[in-house]
This record gives sequence, structure tokens and C-alpha cells, in this order.
Amino acid sequence: MNENLFAPFITPTILGITTLPIIITFPCLILSSPKRWLPNRIQILQMWLIRLITKQMMTMHNKQGRTWTLMLMSLILFIASTNLLGLLPYSFTPTTQLSMNIGMAIPLWAGTVIMGFRNKPKMSLAHFLPQGTPTPLIPMLIIIETISLFIQPLALAVRLTANITAGHLLIHLIGSATLALSSISMTVSTITFSILFLLTLLEIAVAMIQAYVFTLLVSLYLHDNS
Amino acid sequence: MPQLNTSTWTLTISLMIISLFCIYQLKMMNQTLIQITPSTEQSKLTKHTLPWEKKWTKIYLPHSSHQQF
Repeated sequence: MNENLFAPFITPTILGITTLPIIITFPCLILSSPKRWLPNRIQILQMWLIRLITKQMMTMHNKQGRTWTLMLMSLILFIASTNLLGLLPYSFTPTTQLSMNIGMAIPLWAGTVIMGFRNKPKMSLAHFLPQGTPTPLIPMLIIIETISLFIQPLALAVRLTANITAGHLLIHLIGSATLALSSISMTVSTITFSILFLLTLLEIAVAMIQAYVFTLLVSLYLHDNS
Repeated sequence: MPQLNTSTWTLTISLMIISLFCIYQLKMMNQTLIQITPSTEQSKLTKHTLPWEKKWTKIYLPHSSHQQF
């Protein structure tokens, strides 16, 4: 049991060739696009789900914000499918990579901020200072608000990375504990196994919730700026 | 933390950009959410002003009106 706990997060290679292209572009195969008159059951379920999320997320936006529908919907499906596929045994989760999450968060955040500064510069600048601030605090608060603006994409990326990594680590730990305990005491092993089962259910929920949270926060930044 | 090893970052980010910003969006284009985006909003029907609209013509005479008497 000397293996590194973080070994599952090393980008996998086969014979020295990286398998990242397959892993990152594979989840899109789950999405089936209806090409016939009548969609099948899976496609109907998928359409229902997409409509539900779209209604849930896009009704609060104005006309300009709604132009981001395609982007946000593909974002939530991308993250959710990647997370869920990563929960399969012996699979690699690309969303545990900080680089990928930063790469997703920064362009989307920058897009909303630039859109805000371009269309409503006064409103965007007003976000740097809360109303009714005492005069001596103004310079300090502007610095703080600026930092908090620039920390947003990093927080977004780190949140997703940390949640998914923590979940995988816990599953790994409890799984190996169950295996080790099975040779010592079967009752304790059964208890740990039931904990492992419940944790897996939690992780399935977390995989979807984190996708929702990421998209919701981008949508919130969009709402502030549109 | 192997995530902080920056040697794979370029490949990961470029693949993510291709996957998320191209493949997924192209796939989602076929979905029904197109109806919600404002770009495909139905344009208002333009009123056709036809020359015989204002005045009474035989076109407006109901076919069976004379049968009521």
C-alpha cells in the first residue's frame, strides 16, 4: 500500500503517449442529436433535461444575457458529463485538473466582465464601491473589491477542482480501507462498504451539483454585467 | 499534487477549448434550446395592405348568406 494517493490525478499515458485527447473529447458522444422525425426515449429525456435547465437558468436574464444560452448549456453538460464519467472505476476525471478548470473559468468570466464594461461602463465601475461607504474607507474598499473581482475565476476553478479531487480521494481511501479490513473483520468491512456506497451516491450528486454551481456562478456574473 | 505539474497544461487547455467551445456547442446547436435564444425569435407578421381590403367587394360576401332568407 505504498502507492501515492494522488496517483489517480496524474494525466494518463499509454506507452508514453498521452490519452488526454480521447478522454476530454469522449464525453460528447453521450449527447445524441436527434436526426429523425421521432426522437427515441433517451433523446426525449435529454431534450427534457436541457429544456428544464435552460428554463431554470436563463429566465432571469434579459435579452442580451440570453445570447449566452448555448454557451452556458454546453458548459453545464460538459462539466456534468465529464464528472459523471470520471466516477466510473479506472477512469480519469479531467475536471480534477486545475488547468482545465482555470481554462474554462477565465475566458467565461472575462467575457462577462468585458461585456459589462463595454455596454454598461458606469454600472460596472459602480460595482467597485458599495453604496454608503464612509469616505476614509473608500480607497481601501476599492482595492478590496478589485481583488475580489479578479479572484472570482480562480475561486470558480479551485472550487470545482477541490470538490472533485476531495470526493475521489475519499472514495479511494474508504475503498482501500474496505479492502484491507475485509481480511481482518467482515462486519467492520461491511460497515465501511455501506459507507462507501453512500459516499458514491453523494459523489454522483456532487458531480452534478458542481456542474450546476459552476454554471450558475458564471450565469450570475453574466447577470451582473448584462 | 500532480495537478500543479504544468507540463500537461497546454494540451489539457487546448483540448478543453476544442471540446467545450467547438464540439459541445455544435452538438447543442441541434437541441431544442434554439427556440429560447433571442436570435431565432419569430419576426412579427407584416400586415399586407391589399387594395380590396377597405371596400366591400364580392370577396367578402359570405357564400351562404342569401340562403338564410
